Amino acid sequence: MKDLQELSAQLVELAGKAGAHSVDALSVADSSDSIRVRHGKVESVEHEDSRGIGLRAFVEKQGENGTQLAFASASSSDISTDGLTRLVDQVIAMAQISEADPDAVPPLGADHPDAQQLTNWQQKHACSEPAWHRDDAMQAALACEAAALDFSDKISNSEGAESGYGRMRVAYASSDGFAASYEKTSAALSASVIAGKDDGMQRDYAWDRQLTGKALRQPEDIGHEAARRTVSRLGASGIASGAMPVIFEPRVATSIIGHLTSAANGRAVLQQRSFLGESVGQAIFPEFISITDDPDHPQGLGNRLFDGEGSQCRRLQLIDNGRLTALLTDRYAAGRLKTVPGGHARRGLTGDMGIGASNLVMQAGNLTQRDILLEIGNGLLICELIGFGVNGVTGDYSRGASGFLIENGSISRPIQEITIAGNLKEMFSSIRHVGSDVTWFGSTAVPSIAIDGMTVAGQA
Amino acid sequence: MITIIGTPRLTAPAANERLRAMTTSKQHAPGTPTNISIPEQTLSDMLHAMTPAGADDADLYVQYSESESLALEEGRVKHVSSSTSQGVGARVIKGESAGHAYTDRLEVSALMDTAKAARAIAAETTSRAPVAVHATEKQHALYLPENPVAAAPMLERKGLLERLDVFARQLDPRVKQVFASVSSSFSDIRIVRMDGAELHDVRPLVRLNISVVVEQDGRRETGSAGGGGRFGLERMLVGEEPERLAREAVRLALLNLDAISAPAGPMPVVLGPGWPGILLHEAIGHGLEGDFNRKGTSAFSGRIGEQVAASGVTVVDDGTISERRGSLNVDDEGTSTQRTVLIENGILTGYLQDRQNARLMGMQPTGNGRRESYAHPVLPRMTNTFMLAGDDAPDDILASLDRGIYAVNFGGGQVDITSGKFVFTTSEAYLVENGKIVAPVKGATLIGDGPSVLTRVSMIGNDLELDPGVGTCGKDGQSVPVGVGLPTLRIDELVIGGSET
Repeated sequence: MKDLQELSAQLVELAGKAGAHSVDALSVADSSDSIRVRHGKVESVEHEDSRGIGLRAFVEKQGENGTQLAFASASSSDISTDGLTRLVDQVIAMAQISEADPDAVPPLGADHPDAQQLTNWQQKHACSEPAWHRDDAMQAALACEAAALDFSDKISNSEGAESGYGRMRVAYASSDGFAASYEKTSAALSASVIAGKDDGMQRDYAWDRQLTGKALRQPEDIGHEAARRTVSRLGASGIASGAMPVIFEPRVATSIIGHLTSAANGRAVLQQRSFLGESVGQAIFPEFISITDDPDHPQGLGNRLFDGEGSQCRRLQLIDNGRLTALLTDRYAAGRLKTVPGGHARRGLTGDMGIGASNLVMQAGNLTQRDILLEIGNGLLICELIGFGVNGVTGDYSRGASGFLIENGSISRPIQEITIAGNLKEMFSSIRHVGSDVTWFGSTAVPSIAIDGMTVAGQA
Repeated sequence: MITIIGTPRLTAPAANERLRAMTTSKQHAPGTPTNISIPEQTLSDMLHAMTPAGADDADLYVQYSESESLALEEGRVKHVSSSTSQGVGARVIKGESAGHAYTDRLEVSALMDTAKAARAIAAETTSRAPVAVHATEKQHALYLPENPVAAAPMLERKGLLERLDVFARQLDPRVKQVFASVSSSFSDIRIVRMDGAELHDVRPLVRLNISVVVEQDGRRETGSAGGGGRFGLERMLVGEEPERLAREAVRLALLNLDAISAPAGPMPVVLGPGWPGILLHEAIGHGLEGDFNRKGTSAFSGRIGEQVAASGVTVVDDGTISERRGSLNVDDEGTSTQRTVLIENGILTGYLQDRQNARLMGMQPTGNGRRESYAHPVLPRMTNTFMLAGDDAPDDILASLDRGIYAVNFGGGQVDITSGKFVFTTSEAYLVENGKIVAPVKGATLIGDGPSVLTRVSMIGNDLELDPGVGTCGKDGQSVPVGVGLPTLRIDELVIGGSET
């Protein structure tokens, strides 16, 4: 870790000497491996080692209203001394070109975590164990695919199984003297298989992602889920168009949460490109919906102590009994919205600062998915969504879907080649039930969600 | 397996443009290699260390790239960023197996470790005899091997964005927000094949994009337009092209203010020329990529020689069109790009191949082996995919529509390779009755079945157009620039995913 911390500190120092008003720097080192198997043989092995540095520099410019700040950002994988100097010169030259912004917030005086918090965090989230071992990862992929292939005679082909694991080290430093680093590991296992032949072929998949290989679901479990899902789609056909209730099973309900966080992005609201607009304090969901942004959850892969600007991350009850309590903000958006910065800055090596949540957890309801089917009576269970028909400005929603027809409270047959349409604002307020089946997908935990009155288009 | 293509939408400016970042200070004379210098002897040593005697193929991919991006929002160019990336990918192939290793550390010891890591798939200990690395001429010169911003300093680009902001706001008082971005990159690539043959390619890429938000009576809508290709950015800065894009974005946004809900259900559809060729990319192109067909996982598997489209329908993938976004002199395995006929007069004739899948299927590579960067594996991918023109006048095609949808512009699309079901979402579409436009309709997803959709083509326009240079295709998490094209086309039935029943 020390090398990365030195790298970030060195960048901050060089930029200060070169005349920057203030800067922050990120150094990242990544090491990852993946193994793909198909029909019981190793199809592909990948290994990657990379390091990169990213620098954001603010410079003072004389504007109409006195001195203002402008900034630019740059990244590079060249960490030689020459490379660092070149990066600093480049980013300062670009900041000079960038337009001053009276609302710019330099990386000074942020609500940084203190030394004790850093130490506690590092102890609690220590990555002392390797993410996974190569042989174990390979055996897991082989076992996962074998379980899927053996599940049923109807499984006719395989896209294979893949296991992957890696370790990422990140060191952040800013010109107000804050410096911190952390390590993260992750491991994933997935399988995708095919059932049926010719015109009737179907494919589905299953996956899991955890901090380490040991924490993953059993390979056989993932393989069986992929196969069970695939076989259940055989014989899928269309249905006639009409309005009906739609149940999003957890793996597609995650997308509904994703649309919420895009719309609750403070910057998007400021720029009039969110359908939520000025909805803070208003009920945008029914009362039984609560959603938490939890940066320190035992199951979450999105845990973080500080955000992309070094600001502390805190637990936020984003949706409290249906009500939107706050927008997601970095320091810039919070300044303009006149609220406390939320610690939601997201930053990669390249490109601009973004805004995003850490772990989002939707509170469970009382009904099992089976109970929800019974309550709904007739409608659709959606298991997969495709396409990008979501307009963030208007909330208009129209996506391709497949899943199952629900008749008289139970699944009657698989359906495909349909679309579901509505408007996200209405969809949010038309949620009729949420299930007890909260499921984690990386950094999002959601139950099944039933929404009333969506328009389904298809052909019987 | 699902893949996508899309234009940037109204999120953070240029957020969808997966260009690796960029730089201001370095400018290189045209034709001057900018590549990281790894001695030929080291490359030769790496090949020797990584290639077992029984390997079917092996290569090294040495990449240096720079990218720059400027974005304007709320009247100011606030986002200026650049990125420089360099690294080496080593690959060894034996039968259906491949070993890959990637590094951005260029010391000899790190490079040799990378070479050895790529060899992991092979148990055998004997190596192929060493080969000398030797430069090889490539067949095409489809774009200038230069930094596309060499003649367009950053200040000039900033001025352009500011000009566009003012221009778009002056077009209509209902324009409330303008987002404009200009991005550029070049990638300098050396591919060293197993026999020591080395190919060098420098690939420029530029992109200009503008999005607006308009508001009227509390209703907000957006519109966006963009363009680009493999040429110097100065080309986009002169003349009226930027203003044309701004006008187009404002026109689309204002049009959407009057849009009614789209109908839900099956209907005849007329697609306009150009970008609606995304239909071919999703419905046909992905399903004909060699990897899916070798493995038998595509809805098109084993169907060469079968009729998959109406007679008169011919679809090609052509990587050799000068300066197009999807064009390449050589693919990422060093194979010359070509024009590959996928469907000829309704009959399925060919697949898109990289070297590994072509070899395993007993076919020839088609110059479609592509990778996002040195740190990604090669996959068979499209370049520019389009349908050849027919004989029908576009007006006649629209006039033939008793009741249906006329779709002129689209956002992104996606396909399920195995079931063949695909979607693409309109961004400019109209309800048509008795051959006449009735009203614009809100964005709706259209869904269809790849292997059968083109059998329902009943009229093909004489007006083939290629898209303006905005497509990015995603597959297995890798993004590559692509092009599409289409003449005006009538499809007798597609399911329209509107909200009006």
